[in-house]
Amino acid sequence: MHRNCVECRDIIKTYHQGKICVHALNGVSLSIEQGEFVALAGPSGSGKTSLLNIIGGLDKADSGSVIVTGKSFENLSDSKLAKLRLNNIGFVFQSYNLIPVLSALENVEYVMLLQGVPAEERYERSIQILNDTGLEDKYNSRPAELSGGQQQRVAVARAIVSNPMLVLADEPTANLDSETGMGLLEIMKKMNRLKKVTFLFSTHDNMVMDFADRLVLMKDGEIVGDKNKV
Amino acid sequence: MQIQIAWRNIWRNPRRTMIMLTAMIIGIWSMIFLGGMMRGMMVGMINNGISTLTGDIQIHAKGYRDDPSIEYFMPDLKGIEKTINKILPRGSRYTSRIRVNAIAANARHSTGVTMVGIHPVKEPGVSFIGPGAVVHGRYLVPGNNNGILIGRAMAEKFGTKTGHKIILMSENIQHDIASKAFIIMGIFKAEMQSTEKHFVFVTSSSARHMLKLAKGASEISIILPHHKGDKKITWNLRQAIPDSYEIHTWQELLPILTSYLKMFDGFMYIWFLVIFIAMGFGIVNTTLMAVYERMKEFGLLKALGMRPWLIIRSVLLESFMLLVIGTAIGNCMGFLTIHFLSITGINLTSLSAGAEFAGLSRIIYPVLYPKDIIMANVVVIGLGLVVSLYPAVKAARFTPVEALSHE
Amino acid sequence: MKDKLPIDLKMAWRNIWRNFRRTLITISAIGFACVLLVFMLSFQLGGYETMINSSVKIHSGHLEVQAKGYNDKQNIRLAIPDPEIIGKICSKLKDIVSFTFRARAFSMVSSGKKTYGAMVIGIDPLRESLVSTLEKSIRSGSYLKENDKNQAIVGSLLAKNLKISIGDDLTVLGQGKDGSIAAAVLHVKGIYNSGMDEFDRSTIHIPLNTFQNIYSMGNSVHEVVMIADSLKHINVIKRELIRNFRNHNIKGLAVLSWDQLLPGLRQGIEMDLISGIIFYILLIVIVAFSILNTFFMAVFERTREFGVLMAIGTTPGRLVRLVLTESFLMTVVGIGCGMVMGIIITLFFQFHGIDLGGSSAMLRHYGISGKLYPRLSFISLLSGPCVLFFITLLTSFYPAMKIRRLTPVKAMTYV
Repeated sequence: MHRNCVECRDIIKTYHQGKICVHALNGVSLSIEQGEFVALAGPSGSGKTSLLNIIGGLDKADSGSVIVTGKSFENLSDSKLAKLRLNNIGFVFQSYNLIPVLSALENVEYVMLLQGVPAEERYERSIQILNDTGLEDKYNSRPAELSGGQQQRVAVARAIVSNPMLVLADEPTANLDSETGMGLLEIMKKMNRLKKVTFLFSTHDNMVMDFADRLVLMKDGEIVGDKNKV
Repeated sequence: MQIQIAWRNIWRNPRRTMIMLTAMIIGIWSMIFLGGMMRGMMVGMINNGISTLTGDIQIHAKGYRDDPSIEYFMPDLKGIEKTINKILPRGSRYTSRIRVNAIAANARHSTGVTMVGIHPVKEPGVSFIGPGAVVHGRYLVPGNNNGILIGRAMAEKFGTKTGHKIILMSENIQHDIASKAFIIMGIFKAEMQSTEKHFVFVTSSSARHMLKLAKGASEISIILPHHKGDKKITWNLRQAIPDSYEIHTWQELLPILTSYLKMFDGFMYIWFLVIFIAMGFGIVNTTLMAVYERMKEFGLLKALGMRPWLIIRSVLLESFMLLVIGTAIGNCMGFLTIHFLSITGINLTSLSAGAEFAGLSRIIYPVLYPKDIIMANVVVIGLGLVVSLYPAVKAARFTPVEALSHE
Repeated sequence: MKDKLPIDLKMAWRNIWRNFRRTLITISAIGFACVLLVFMLSFQLGGYETMINSSVKIHSGHLEVQAKGYNDKQNIRLAIPDPEIIGKICSKLKDIVSFTFRARAFSMVSSGKKTYGAMVIGIDPLRESLVSTLEKSIRSGSYLKENDKNQAIVGSLLAKNLKISIGDDLTVLGQGKDGSIAAAVLHVKGIYNSGMDEFDRSTIHIPLNTFQNIYSMGNSVHEVVMIADSLKHINVIKRELIRNFRNHNIKGLAVLSWDQLLPGLRQGIEMDLISGIIFYILLIVIVAFSILNTFFMAVFERTREFGVLMAIGTTPGRLVRLVLTESFLMTVVGIGCGMVMGIIITLFFQFHGIDLGGSSAMLRHYGISGKLYPRLSFISLLSGPCVLFFITLLTSFYPAMKIRRLTPVKAMTYV
């Protein structure tokens, strides 16, 4: 049976900041099939990050249902959610992505370590993925010794290496210049094609939007457009 | 304005400030508290020493201190009393005593004691002995010729009580053994058990009679008003009284106590320093954190043209305020603790033998000395500012570029 | 993987050195407290041992056998009738290094010119020299010999008060065991100065045989004084003695250890130790608060990093462990350095001694002459650091527990 990778129905999320209520998501529904390469676009404050956090199981919706990779997030404890994230979802953030005290190789290995992958296999897979992302000469570099683009590539490698179904990326190119940003996106797409991993990333950069297979537009906590370019 | 900014800055991170304040408060509280305790012990020891027949100043015939026997007596008591009356400030008290080593014995026991012939009326204002110290029987009255007061501990050891007989033996003025039977009039208690064991009191007239001394006494003991000015008065006395007499202050009479006190002083200041160092690490680290967190801010200020020393000043001002708040609260808590403890005193009875061994009283009443309080506060605030200088200078050295690119 | 170190430990170690200066200061604070604790405890405990050993060598020995009640009443009639059998028992116990017999009586001592009350103590010269420092403290003349009769050695202050010197005669006058008058003339053979004024002012020593003759003691003595090979074995010896007495059907005797014979010394030590412990606890608490901020900062400034770690699947429990490991490492390094420094400093002074200068009059009062020597032992080395270790770790729990309440989103948006 063909199943959607992400299945959101009527998600509502409200934040309380002091006495002010911010309606981040006003009934968002979204389906993404396995293997899609989706950009989530919209101005800042439109609810992109909130939606990614909820799909990623980092945050809980006030109401509505979320089913990711066939599993419902409802009534899951924090540690169950953490396990779900660990095995099924990869993350790439805008910044503070990597563990500063670990080398590129160790950063990539870290996730598999949490999964309990044996050392031998961990090492081989890490080397493989770093080679795939074009970091063959940076195994032992610490994040501080890497450029912004290289850091994000390590982050992608780390997100991919555990063979997740879905990778969520929150503005992965925001801190990069356009050329480096495009490089990163190409690697993401390569991984998408190679491993059939679903990618969902937020952006407000037009170039990035053009690069995606499918573009979901958000505004004021609602989805205002959804076009498949393939 | 400056103060307002500093005040706001230190409360930007309330938790951090509170933790640092707690460390400071405990630090300064412990300084005040332990200082008060130690001074209390010292005052107790001094009072003990002075009231156990020492007094603030003593006068003896030359030679008595080396060999406390009856042959070194002061014959011209009247003359000396006339002289000291002129010199002593108003409110001073003094008494003369006859004081010799003796052997006390009853049918079953004998022990070495110090026999003290006192003037029953004048003595109570000068030393601990007096009607108030007698727990059984009565105090001596002038003209009583065979009454004796013995200590509680000695009475227990001898298995005797009031009304029973004690025989004293000592050398008289002619180097013969004199012995005389006394009736126990009363049993006294003292702060120290050793005092209760080693001293027996008789009237000076009966002591003179026993020792065949026509007139005079072994020592004059002087108590000054509020125990003040002993050194100067001793000096004056030395000028006025002939060389055949020796005049000593309590510090000279009680060398062990004096060296104890000196060590206490030294120990206390070392302790202050140790406490401060323990706190100092925290002060430096916390201030450093605060400074690094605000690196961008300092960079910006510098870019706007703020001179480095103004940055130093503002960091020091923040430290200073923190130190002042900490010391103020710590002082108040210290005062309160000392205040409540000084009402009841701290009872060392369970360790009385040890306390006595160390020359302490059984109950300690903490005392605060202004100089200790000042010292504690100066150490904390002064050295606190000195160690804050390091983070302050760091802050002043941030270059705008470095600071603004700092994560 | 070439590196076998667990990744959590590796991360923790690298994390603590991310802020080199702060870590250094924190470690210094722990180290400082540690040095102080090791040194001060060694100093105190060493001082006690010196005090005990020098006191027992002048006064009491580590243990004494006496007739029941003698210690309280010091009554001459409360004597040990047959000391030889106790001597035999003592020589069989291996933990007893040496023992001697003593008898004592308070008497009038007169030089013709002067008279004082003093404690006359009968000793076995040979055995006494193995138990006490009396022989070594002879300042003029000489110590008693085996066959001496009617010879006496006198405390220096008493000799001064009596105005006597070597070769002079002394008259002692007291009461014998049977209630008769005990009187004898003795020749001053030596004068000793133990340094303890009270002792030097109030004692004379004479041969035990002479004592027994003068005071009609027969063969009896008042005390069997023993020196143990170590303070630790005193209780064993005590038990053994009591068991042996029971086996030999010896009744009416008591075995007293130094802390019963010199209660002031024991309580003085307790008091000093208690006040010391109060000082140390306050010090540790202040240090704990001083470093609490570091532990807090280590958590808060990395909150966003924790957010990412949690997002990619690290459980909060694992993060708590990570932070605790960091605190643990800092504490261990600080305590390690502190202990090493403490050992060096303590050993230096253990070798060279500490001159307390102006306080020597006071030290003499405690029977200590000249310098004080700290003494490094397992207890003095480990007890302070152990308490420090636990309090520091306890301190680090508070900030670490804050992590449990973090959620990834809260953490990543933390400013």
